[in-house]
Amino acid sequence: MNRSRKVWTIATFEFLTAVKRPGYLITTFGMPVFMALYAGVVALPAYFATRAAREASVYGVVDDARVLDLRGDTPSERPQIPEEVKRMVDRVGQARALEEELTNAEFIFRPFASEAEARTALANRTLKGYFVLPRDYVEKGVVDVYTQDQINLAGDSARGAFADLLREGLVKGRLADQLSDRVVHPLKDERSFSVTRTGELVDSSVTAEVVRVAVPLVFMVLFLLSVLMTSGYLMQGTATEKENKVVEVLLASADPEQILSGKLLGLGGAGLLQVAVWMLLVVGGGFGIVPLLMTSNIEMPWLALALAIPLFLIAFLFFGSLMLGTGSLGSNMREAQQLAMVWSLMAALPMMMMAALLREPHGIVSRVMTFLPVSAAPLIIFRASTDRAALAWWEVAVSFAILMISTWIAIRIGARLFRVGLLASSRPKLREILRQARLSSS
Amino acid sequence: MAVLAFGDIVKSYGTTMALRGVSFDVNGGEIFGLLGPNGAGKSTLIRILMDIIRPDSGQVRVFGEPRTRAHLDRLGYLPEERGLYTKLTVVDVMMYFGALKGLTRPEARRRAIEWLTRVELPHVASWKIDRLSKGMSQKVQIAAVLLSDPELCVLDEPTTGLDPVNVRLVQDLLVERRRNGRTTILSTHQMNQVEALCDRVALIHQGRLMVYGAVHDVRRRYSRPEVLVHARAPLPEIPPVSDAIPDGDGKWRLMLEDGAAPADVLGALVRAGAAIDHFEPILAPMEDIFFRVVREGQA
Repeated sequence: MNRSRKVWTIATFEFLTAVKRPGYLITTFGMPVFMALYAGVVALPAYFATRAAREASVYGVVDDARVLDLRGDTPSERPQIPEEVKRMVDRVGQARALEEELTNAEFIFRPFASEAEARTALANRTLKGYFVLPRDYVEKGVVDVYTQDQINLAGDSARGAFADLLREGLVKGRLADQLSDRVVHPLKDERSFSVTRTGELVDSSVTAEVVRVAVPLVFMVLFLLSVLMTSGYLMQGTATEKENKVVEVLLASADPEQILSGKLLGLGGAGLLQVAVWMLLVVGGGFGIVPLLMTSNIEMPWLALALAIPLFLIAFLFFGSLMLGTGSLGSNMREAQQLAMVWSLMAALPMMMMAALLREPHGIVSRVMTFLPVSAAPLIIFRASTDRAALAWWEVAVSFAILMISTWIAIRIGARLFRVGLLASSRPKLREILRQARLSSS
Repeated sequence: MAVLAFGDIVKSYGTTMALRGVSFDVNGGEIFGLLGPNGAGKSTLIRILMDIIRPDSGQVRVFGEPRTRAHLDRLGYLPEERGLYTKLTVVDVMMYFGALKGLTRPEARRRAIEWLTRVELPHVASWKIDRLSKGMSQKVQIAAVLLSDPELCVLDEPTTGLDPVNVRLVQDLLVERRRNGRTTILSTHQMNQVEALCDRVALIHQGRLMVYGAVHDVRRRYSRPEVLVHARAPLPEIPPVSDAIPDGDGKWRLMLEDGAAPADVLGALVRAGAAIDHFEPILAPMEDIFFRVVREGQA
């Protein structure tokens, strides 16, 4: 029987055994349901709060400076949505929903003849607050603001909306319409461009920036999630063999490398399948991320996306084999997980350093981490996504080579530790591990 | 022809010497008894054969070649510390073990069902392992090892915990393997089984090979010169016998003089006209030999 067929036999057995467990099925399909229910419970108060917020807040205005000339309730301006966002929303067919959402003004400004009348209305809680423009407002720019004696988180927004109203009132009839509009909305919309090192113009809209950061971020999150989820299965698989005393039968049929590789593929596959199911449920759950990106004409970081899958798999094998090897040295499940924890922390390293990496995506820290096996995969994706031109082809090639060699070494080391760990009934001493590892190589 | 040859195997665990240069051969088509007290080094030797652990020095040859991982598909192993995947069904576990030995899935399933029938457990195929009794589980383990029909198979205490009916069942399976030219190494402490089943034995003690050879030869070598006679009348005094000890019901144990052979005693008895119904040279039981070797080793 050839080696790969034996690995495949072990992988198939481990995969099918894992995915048929009730615990696996409950976690895989129950977790999204639980998360949806949880989100529903959390969203319910937010929904009612939003509905309440749709009813515009009424603020009084006492205009002793005669700047505004309000002749009744005056709604504030509707929020400004960037044109690129409007276009994207329109492409995915949600323009009407956006329109409905933005129909109602957030604030209504109601004129009062005197401060005393406004104060009475505020005391009666028919107002959220009121603004008094003193006679010398134009000269001094000081506005008196009165609010209810309770916390009002919308206060800043109301002041902003009132400031817009003031600007409009101050320039109305004093400047040409177009100039008046520019004073009120000096940055009505923007078109953003970025210049590459070669002088080329590329899209630098907010959405494009978000996508560039989101690709490596999603990669890192998914990778970490996969490593953490799968480590549990890997530890459990080894502990089961120790508990069930089938270790010797297995070792009499396949060598430790075959067992380790088979377990890694089978149990790793089960872990990855779980993450994939969650992803599909999220994407297919109506969030519309894919159609949004497909129609937005954003320049996608294709190189990063293309590299993501092979890098993901190699890095997964790297961490998985080391986790399985070190974890097998534990005498029970808890000890195994403690031993394997160090690799989970290593896998989380780029995530923990995200802020520093974002400040300088191609700085010295990023470059060094590109060549470290524990961080190479996410760093290549990160750098290829943020600025493809700054990532030299040789850096990708060297990083790939380092990762592949490291993975090969990790599998070899993992297999030796695995052999020692599987046969030991208690945690072996370092000297014994080294001795056995040396013997198993001969 | 030897299907297995251990050559000067040395193995230590830290400062403890487990095997101190053990060498012996196992011939094809025999049932070979691997004997020794607990901690003698039997399990270490078996693990070395299965490439589970590596020796510090020495060679293992199987089927006339230096043993490699490629030979594992032709070997079977039932370890002393054994178990099964408790949450899986019997047939699934057996199929997995069969597949690991190179059988295709359909073939492994067919043989699993066939072997369950042979060990009189066809009804447990779809049972979860944790539903089996200890004896059932033991028979399933034996069936799982034998279903790939290994050319050389090591069974470490295969009948421990089985009732006499099932012990006989397992013994019959081993005899059938011998008939089919398959080799079995039986590691056991049950000396009656060794006498009943084994062609040859090796007894290891404190990591050294103490006894090695055909069971009959070993028993004769360790036997005192003694014969058992059933007679209808008192026995006459004859020269080759130094002492005659009555054993009740007309049985006599005759101690032979130095240099005398059982055939000399039989001839003398016939010539003296003794009315004998039964004549049998007494061979030392394997259990006595085991005790003697271990005690002498300790001394």
